[in-house]
Amino acid sequence: MIEFNLDRGSGVSTYLQLVHQVKQALRLGVLRPGDQLPTAREVVESLAINPNTVLKAYRELEREGLVEGRPGMGTFVRQGIAGATLAEHTRLRRDLEAWVRDARAAGLDQEDLRALFTVALADAAKEGVA
Amino acid sequence: MIWVTWRQHRAQILVTAAFLALLGMLLLGSAVEAIRYMSEHAPPGCPGPAVACGDLAAALGRRYDAVYSVFGWMPLVAPALIGAFWGAPLLGREYERGTHRLAWTQSVPVGRWLAVKLSILGAAVVAGGLLLSLMVSLWRPVFRSGADSTFGNIGVFNMVGVDPAAWWLYAFALGTAAGTLFRRTLPAMALVVAGVAVTMFTLFRLSDYYAEPARTELSGSVVLDDQDARLVSAAWVEPSGREVADPSDSGCPRRVDAGQSNRNTEAWQACLFGKGYRYAVYYHPPARFWRFQWTEAGILTLASAALGGLAVRSTLRRPG
Amino acid sequence: MSAALEATGLGVRYRRTWVLRDCSLSLPTGRVAALVGPNGAGKTTLMHAAVGLLRPALGSVRVAGEAAFVAQDKPLYESFTVAEMLAFGRRMNRRWDDAAAADRLAALGIPLRRKVGRLSGGQQAQVAVTLALAGLPDLLMLDEPLANLDPLARHDVMRSIMAEVAERRLTVLLSSHVVSDLEETCDWLVVLNAGRLQVSGDIEELLDGHLVVTGPDDAPIAGAQVVSASRTGRQVGMLVRGAPPLDPRWQARSPGLEELVMGYLRSPDSAALPKLTGVGA
Repeated sequence: MIEFNLDRGSGVSTYLQLVHQVKQALRLGVLRPGDQLPTAREVVESLAINPNTVLKAYRELEREGLVEGRPGMGTFVRQGIAGATLAEHTRLRRDLEAWVRDARAAGLDQEDLRALFTVALADAAKEGVA
Repeated sequence: MIWVTWRQHRAQILVTAAFLALLGMLLLGSAVEAIRYMSEHAPPGCPGPAVACGDLAAALGRRYDAVYSVFGWMPLVAPALIGAFWGAPLLGREYERGTHRLAWTQSVPVGRWLAVKLSILGAAVVAGGLLLSLMVSLWRPVFRSGADSTFGNIGVFNMVGVDPAAWWLYAFALGTAAGTLFRRTLPAMALVVAGVAVTMFTLFRLSDYYAEPARTELSGSVVLDDQDARLVSAAWVEPSGREVADPSDSGCPRRVDAGQSNRNTEAWQACLFGKGYRYAVYYHPPARFWRFQWTEAGILTLASAALGGLAVRSTLRRPG
Repeated sequence: MSAALEATGLGVRYRRTWVLRDCSLSLPTGRVAALVGPNGAGKTTLMHAAVGLLRPALGSVRVAGEAAFVAQDKPLYESFTVAEMLAFGRRMNRRWDDAAAADRLAALGIPLRRKVGRLSGGQQAQVAVTLALAGLPDLLMLDEPLANLDPLARHDVMRSIMAEVAERRLTVLLSSHVVSDLEETCDWLVVLNAGRLQVSGDIEELLDGHLVVTGPDDAPIAGAQVVSASRTGRQVGMLVRGAPPLDPRWQARSPGLEELVMGYLRSPDSAALPKLTGVGA
């Protein structure tokens, strides 16, 4: 079971925070397919937020195909975050480590690395949208 | 709603009941004691109108001075307390504490809330007043048989018959209306005490006009035979039949009395009677007891209804 | 969408001062609505008119179904025990769920035999909310429910209300002059200012429909409606409604709820109200 918490000063909307936390839990294997998400009432009772916010977050997750609502029973995890298996993770990480070493040799410091990575991510996202 | 009324006002109800019970015991105790005292000390034929009974009555009066003084204040104090503790908090306290916003936003409409409270508490107040009247009526004859003063003595008059109930109801309604006016308990209580006192004085003055006074002409004495009658006014009647307030050219010498003596006045009166003057007395005979009781009760009940209506109106048509 | 609360041309005045003017409002069922505005804006008056504590001078206000009201300062009979307070509610209401009320109080650790006057402020607030909810209302109205409560008690009170909203179809209208109190709990916003209704709408739509823009004073802003603006030197900051500005000199971002409310309160002539149904374009 996942325990939600809120960062009230973050400026990120409550419903997005809930979505991110479920995704994070899926990535880390805290939530697995078949697991039940807490009911809206349970979340509301611990966080004192609007139940519609919880339902909206669950709808968003459902739209992305990550969870499914079973009427009268609750919301259940349908699948983990798609894509990379553990083996691929290891391979990709090795590649990335090699790339970091390369960049270091080229004289880039930690901040440069981070900026470069962010730009690359943003570009990829734009292509994805286009 | 009945439970709510009981729960909110049980303190007043219980204290009033306890007060009446205590008073009942005091009256009963003093009556039993007085009867025993009389059986030991009374000459034959007493109590009664006989002259010999006067001593006994005086002795009883001395013995029960404390009881009498409780009695003397009661016609004024009892309604004032009822108004202050039953009436004033009924709405005043709700407004003061803001609890009217709780009570009047439940399913029960405000109108019914007020109607139930007014009728239950009003009925309880009337019952209390009647109980007091009953106790006093049973107690008084022990001391005063044969020499009644329930009509002539305004204090006693207000404690017997239906009057106590009417006074209590009036004070309750006055307190309730004052509570809506001030929206606070304490000033409403003060208004009740002042209001009851003013009303009592006003009705006392007004009571002369409840009926056309009876007229009788006395000669030889200026004192009415019936001790329990209510005197309204008196005048001298000239031999010609003309009524004058002050016979000025009668020829009788009128000297001012010195000190406590009224020998000169008596001599002057005797002189007037000697010259054919008579003394006209306007009064209400004790036979009018119930007529006066119902008239006063009627006035007070009408005033109670008006005050109650005022309280209901301002509660239902609240600007805020 | 059916309305849980509907006001039409509502006007209320105390003696000769209008405290609420021409207020037309429709609150959809199932929403948790925030009623905000400065002190004296007419929030309490609107609620009192809705529960019948006062009579409007003009117009009308109507509640669909049963309404429960928790007044400011949460009045309770202090000499009553908590159990007697429940008995009061049971006898004063058509609908009443005694078991639920007792369970809720037990869960909160509030002893039924304690006198109300001896409870803490937070516990009194919980008793007041419990009483209101036990009547199974369709619309729950709370006037400044969080005022005078410590942060923990605020959280607890909001949890109680939100849990009830999750459980059944309940519409909530709660007033506050502190917007941040309501940010996570409300999905509908009603702004009252000086007796007039300024904003009424879905919070998310309102936030999506507005932008906070900053830029040079002389840059044109086309296609957007300025709600409020503040100038410092040649720089101007604005809350605007409508299309994002085209001029690249403008920097734009979404407003927070508090910024949105402040923007409207600063310029009482602006309004964001839904078009009345039945009125042609």
